[in-house]
Amino acid sequence: MSSKERKSSIDPVVIVTLGLVLLAIAFVLIALRPNVPTINADSGTWSQLVVAFITGITTGGLSCLAVQGGLLASSLAHQVELDYVEHAGLNKKARQKTSVHTNSAFPIFLFLTAKIIAYTLLGALLGWLGSYLTLSPVTRAILVIAIGIFMIGNALRMFNAHPVFRYFSVEPPKFITRYIRRTAKGTDTFTPIFLGALTIFIPCGITQAMMATALGAGSIVMGAALMFAFTLGTSPVFFLVAYLTTELGAHLEKFFMRFVAIVVLILGFYTLNGGLNLLGSPFSFQNLTRNVFPSTNEPTIAADVTQSSLATDELVLNVENHGYSPSTLKAPAGKDLKLNLVTKGTYSCALTFIIPDLNFYQMLPPFGTVQVDIPAQQKGSTLFFTCSMGMYTGEIVFE
Amino acid sequence: MKKRIFKVTDMSCTNCAMKLESLEDVLDGVKQINASYHKLEMIVEYDESRLTDEQIIAAAKKKGYTAILVE
Repeated sequence: MSSKERKSSIDPVVIVTLGLVLLAIAFVLIALRPNVPTINADSGTWSQLVVAFITGITTGGLSCLAVQGGLLASSLAHQVELDYVEHAGLNKKARQKTSVHTNSAFPIFLFLTAKIIAYTLLGALLGWLGSYLTLSPVTRAILVIAIGIFMIGNALRMFNAHPVFRYFSVEPPKFITRYIRRTAKGTDTFTPIFLGALTIFIPCGITQAMMATALGAGSIVMGAALMFAFTLGTSPVFFLVAYLTTELGAHLEKFFMRFVAIVVLILGFYTLNGGLNLLGSPFSFQNLTRNVFPSTNEPTIAADVTQSSLATDELVLNVENHGYSPSTLKAPAGKDLKLNLVTKGTYSCALTFIIPDLNFYQMLPPFGTVQVDIPAQQKGSTLFFTCSMGMYTGEIVFE
Repeated sequence: MKKRIFKVTDMSCTNCAMKLESLEDVLDGVKQINASYHKLEMIVEYDESRLTDEQIIAAAKKKGYTAILVE
């Protein structure tokens, strides 16, 4: 890309400033409302949008970054690769004078813009369609696994491991590339836009909560506005984390390409592992290591569920912000059981509770107890449970 | 019109293919360029009375790629 073409892209400083301004607005909003309220269908329209925004910038940003960060890294990897190739293409003298400068702000901006637009459209659709679009845990698991494989393949492509991995790189249709070339002057805009839009298929737990709210809104405009406010809220966190990460990485120069490939590879395995958890596979990292390093946590009884109130065929699982406690539950085999899911001020993705083998999926309230019927299981069998991101996991072992 | 296939083994991403296709905008006599990162090749359709293989190779070189005529 020539310097002339470079000038056509948005100045990274402008983008960083925009991110910081958004962050500042969020802080002001938080300062004005020290007690972050829960989403209430009866509150006024503006209040709901502010809550959506605050949820995005607080829990949503990091939560979504954990799930969708891989896609963002993939789109950035492409830009970093491009910048590195360009730097390598300079003559020796010019190379010595300049260091690799990653033009990462622009792809991040494209990624986030595409994400905001896609989620706003999704919000409009949800407001209109109701619950028809909810993905089942299995569908979501397959999607997450496919994305994990895509990322691993892409990392191996960057390592030049085998020619076959070149096919893990999305080659957009020619009519699109021509259109992009003529409008963006050769800037690689397709990948971040495509990947940003793709994030609607891998919503994090908090996003799903917001999608549920958009469903409940029952109006195209309100559904769209809610998802827009929420996604806008997640954007500064996404932007700052991604931008700072790539800018720090640029100083690694020589090893940077490998560094990016390794990061994408790790995120790919992380995503794949999340998909395996969503499928209830015993071969996920957590489920494999749980047997090697068994949990020392004793089953705990939540304060609002007393021991005397529990029958012998009842189990208690505390749903906490950082996972499920205890992570291993022992249960008698051959009889129907009731699993009490206890939440007490929980707002993480652990709220979206899944038992893949039972095809059970439920969004739990932040406070309270939800009872789940577990049909009789064979002795020696195990039921795995997970959050909707495949991040927090646990098991029920039947003895 | 003439159609030629060039092998470009130093493409490293799909954007390289886009960059090679952008030669359409600078080479006089080119009807169409289809570059593929997956196949590491570039198919050029051009008017042989206005352009030569050597000029295409030289233009690709200017973009930073080594194009080798296959057929």
